[in-house]
Amino acid sequence: MAMTCSDASVRLAAYVDGGLPADARTHLDDHLTACAACRRDLARQTEVRDLLGAAGRQTAAMPPPWLHTRIAARLAAEAAPASRPGWRTRVTAFAAAALVVLAVSAAALPVVTGRSTVVLAAQLALDHLKCFVIDGEADGGVLDVAEAEAELRDAYGWNLHVPATAGDADAQLMAVRRCLYGDGRAAHLLYRWHGAPVSLFILPGLERPDATLTVFGHEAVVWTGAGRTYVLVGAAASRDQLSRMATTLRNEAE
Amino acid sequence: MAFGQRWRRPPADADRFSAEALEFLDLLYGSAVRLTRNPEAAEDLVQDTYLKAFRARARFQPGTNLKAWLFTILHNTWRNRLRDRSRNPEVADSEAVDRAAEQGQDTVSAPPDTPESLLLAGTLSDELRTALDQVPEAFREAVWLRDVEELTYQEIAGVLDVPVGTVMSRIARGRRQLHAALVRARQTAGIERA
Repeated sequence: MAMTCSDASVRLAAYVDGGLPADARTHLDDHLTACAACRRDLARQTEVRDLLGAAGRQTAAMPPPWLHTRIAARLAAEAAPASRPGWRTRVTAFAAAALVVLAVSAAALPVVTGRSTVVLAAQLALDHLKCFVIDGEADGGVLDVAEAEAELRDAYGWNLHVPATAGDADAQLMAVRRCLYGDGRAAHLLYRWHGAPVSLFILPGLERPDATLTVFGHEAVVWTGAGRTYVLVGAAASRDQLSRMATTLRNEAE
Repeated sequence: MAFGQRWRRPPADADRFSAEALEFLDLLYGSAVRLTRNPEAAEDLVQDTYLKAFRARARFQPGTNLKAWLFTILHNTWRNRLRDRSRNPEVADSEAVDRAAEQGQDTVSAPPDTPESLLLAGTLSDELRTALDQVPEAFREAVWLRDVEELTYQEIAGVLDVPVGTVMSRIARGRRQLHAALVRARQTAGIERA
């Protein structure tokens, strides 16, 4: 069947671009042989294509030079994980609520925790949150071990060995302070491990059985040595890492 | 590893994707200006395009045409904006665009015969830009994506969200209209010079 000009006209672009199947091409060739108008159209298709290919780009507006920078920065911000205040923002609400529990129960805790490791761990997890999140402790520079031991001795009269790391070479000592727990008779060592807070509590004169507990979304590893109880506290997701740290600390102390 | 993972550097694939995608900034911006006819709106459209692409980068299939993918997002974003702005969603409907354009230019402006080679040789960027502006968007963009961006018919069908057959006819028609607009411009220039 002979091709009409109307059929030919919609196929001309694809013909010029080499996108027509062989049989359609043959039909169109036949039509072009017989039709001068469509031959003219074919020439125009080719010409406009060549013109745009050669000069089309030059007609396009160019972006202002700062647009690249602006978009790159926007994408980088999009890619960046939560910035430092991120974890803080997320835990602050929880910690604020937890602090109410802390305040209400503080008076009874020394007695209660003498019997319950769970309550002890819970108390210390709250203290861990309070010091890191609410008080903003350990945001300063890295603390020297000798400095920390001197501070504990001078301020509180405690002769405690302060581990330089919390059982992992990447955990840096940021601060030491007296803990709220047990009328302030415990030391709180604050570390940062790859930016995340880890606490080591040392409670003199108390012995608790070994335990690993999950409290308030935190992991607490408890052990006793030389008449002291040690509690290592960190985010729950880090359980394995925290266990390894505890083992190292324990071996170091013994 | 859970401790530090929120604070890690952005993953390398994000950096690489951004770098590769941003190589097409000039091209996307040029198209955005033609679509919006407004530099500020174009900047906005392009930035939006990059954000969407970045967020969806996991869906991009390596080995396929990143440029075509970015143009698809640009045109989708643009169509959505038109649809949101317009009280009549039909305006952005592709068939309506074709019908409207068909009633106008194509038949009316069959140009007189002109020596073809003269047209090509003397065309200035400004003339070409003006002529492009006279071609309805649906046709002009199909032609542009083919002849300047060198996308395949299949890719253009994806960008414009129309069947390949429609792409084919839009390109044929768009080139014809562009040719007519150039001839008119040349005739006008000739009259002015005379």
